Amino acid sequence: MTSPEEFKTRLKIAKSKIKKHLKSDDDKKGSFMGNAFKLGTELVAAVVVGTIIGFILDNWFDTKPWLIIIFFFLGAAAGMLNVIRTARRMQKED
Amino acid sequence: MASNPMQQFSVHKIGPEIKISGIDLSFTNASLFMIISASAILFFLFLGSKEKRIIPNKVQLIAELFYTFVAKMISDTAGSKAKPYFPFIFSLFMFVLFCNMVGMIPYSFTVTSHIIVTLIMALFIFIAVTIIGFAKHGLKYLSIFVPSGVPVVLLPLITIIEIISYLSRPVSLSVRLFANMMAGHTMLKVFGGFVISLGLLGGWLPLGFSVALTGLEILVAFLQAYVFAILTCIYLNDALNLHH
Repeated sequence: MTSPEEFKTRLKIAKSKIKKHLKSDDDKKGSFMGNAFKLGTELVAAVVVGTIIGFILDNWFDTKPWLIIIFFFLGAAAGMLNVIRTARRMQKED
Repeated sequence: MASNPMQQFSVHKIGPEIKISGIDLSFTNASLFMIISASAILFFLFLGSKEKRIIPNKVQLIAELFYTFVAKMISDTAGSKAKPYFPFIFSLFMFVLFCNMVGMIPYSFTVTSHIIVTLIMALFIFIAVTIIGFAKHGLKYLSIFVPSGVPVVLLPLITIIEIISYLSRPVSLSVRLFANMMAGHTMLKVFGGFVISLGLLGGWLPLGFSVALTGLEILVAFLQAYVFAILTCIYLNDALNLHH
């Protein structure tokens, strides 16, 4: 039905059409929602990890409530750092 | 009757119980659906690469689409140095994607809605990336915990925060995938239950929601596989190109 020659000219036309649309942000649309989903867990995970580290160290050094409190806040700081980094990376992508 | 929305996540044994030195290695429905997903990928890619046509047929087109999608993702986020890791990231992306998508079929089981599955994958990535980092840069890899331009007084505090942030990677990676899949499937089941309990008169509204949620879940299934793969690329990038 379609000969290779005919296909070549059609390919050329299609390629020039694509070139016009290449700079449009069509293929980036999907990643916006992915980024939105990313941020939430980023914050929580660091807090959880920080608290667990504090808990383990507390049991280790027998300093019951102190290290868990300190590491909870350090974890929260790490979470905020993660969120800021992810947000900055998202801005760079655009 | 399976009216409990969490019923769908129960793991049960298929066939005989296998125990090796006290560890339960029985074949479960989770293992069955992992095998189904893996063989679906193999089958699909085999079909896609069987005839190498210049003008591709539909299956070949989709297979090539996946290939270029992952290849572009790697080169965009991790640069050309990450090229050798393409097979790993491609298999990871395809496995998560197919597990999520197979889970969307009614009466099937979603493997990725179990945290142990996602955590094992995330821990594997985490350990692999750490080993790659140390292998490429030696002890200099530890400098990712010490950001540049920080006053000396604050340095111990910042280092601890950076270490926590580094250790939180596998947790956030696994919890994100697991929570999204589990929450979505629970919600589908809850709305399905509403349809039954409200009956012929009031059941139409939750039925409509159910249809809309199914569409959303398919989007989430793709998106979470994408996010999982792209975060692996980002972590790999941190390990390969140190100067960040």
